[in-house]
Amino acid sequence: MPGGTGAAKRFGGLSMVEGLFSGTNYLAAKRLLDATALRQEAIAGNLANVETPGYRRMDVSPSFEAELRQAIGSGDVSAMKTAQPKLAVDATARSSRQDGNTVILESELLKLNQNSVEHAMETQMITGNLMRMRLAITGRG
Amino acid sequence: MLNLIPGIESTSSALNAERIRMDVVSQNISNAQVTKGPDGQPYQRQQVVFQTVLDSQLQGGATVQIPTISTDHRPPILVYRPGHPDADPRGMVAMPNINIHEEMVDLIASSRSFEANLAVVKSARSLAMQTLSIGKR
Repeated sequence: MPGGTGAAKRFGGLSMVEGLFSGTNYLAAKRLLDATALRQEAIAGNLANVETPGYRRMDVSPSFEAELRQAIGSGDVSAMKTAQPKLAVDATARSSRQDGNTVILESELLKLNQNSVEHAMETQMITGNLMRMRLAITGRG
Repeated sequence: MLNLIPGIESTSSALNAERIRMDVVSQNISNAQVTKGPDGQPYQRQQVVFQTVLDSQLQGGATVQIPTISTDHRPPILVYRPGHPDADPRGMVAMPNINIHEEMVDLIASSRSFEANLAVVKSARSLAMQTLSIGKR
C-alpha cells in the first residue's frame, strides 16, 4: 500500500475500507485477472471453431492492454477501475488454410497454457496482497 | 447464471459437435457397402457442416453448432459384379460414394479436435480452482 501524503490525497474521496483496496498493484492484478478469464473464453471459442470454415480467431482487444498500461503509468486509480477487457476479432491473424480459418491449433494450445500460468501468477499476487493486509491488521499472518 | 468456469459453453458446444461428427463418420463407414437404401438407391455419404454462433454482445467466446448434416452428391462408384442382385444389365453395381481413407482421416481429425477441447476443460477448471483459492494460504 502506498503511504504518505500522496496516497492520502489520491484516496481522499474514498472511504477508508475502499482505500485499502485501491493499491495500484492490487487493482492492476484484478484487472489482469479479468483479462485472463476473458482470454480463456476466447481460446475456448477458438478451439471450438478450429474446423469452422471462415472463422476468424478472437482475443482480448489490444486496446485494453494499452489503456491499462497508461493507467498504471500515470497511477490513475479511477482509469484503472474503468478499464474493461473486451473480446475482439484478432485482425493480425492470417489464414494459411483453404477455408479462411485463422485458428492454428498448436498456437492456441500454447496460448492456453500461457494464460493459465498468467492466471496463477495474478491470483497469487492478489492473495499475497490480501495476506499482507491481514498481517497488518491482525499482527499475524 | 453464474459463470464460474470461463469458456465452458464454447467447449461443451464443440464437444457436442465433434461427437455428432464422429456419429456421422461411423454411419458412413457402416453403410459403405449398402447398395440399396430405403429409397432404392445406394447409400450417399453424409457430412457435417460447422457454423460459428457469436454471442450478440460479444461478451464471451464463440460457440459452434452443426446447422445441417448435408448429403455428399458425388456419383456412386460403379463396380463390376454380375451376380449381385442390384447389378444393372451390364453387370455393374452402384456402390456408395464412400472412400474409407477419407472417413478415417475425418475420424482422426475429429478425435484430435475433441482432445484439444478436453484440454481446454482441464485448464478452465484449474483456472476456476485458482480463483476460488484467492485469499487462502
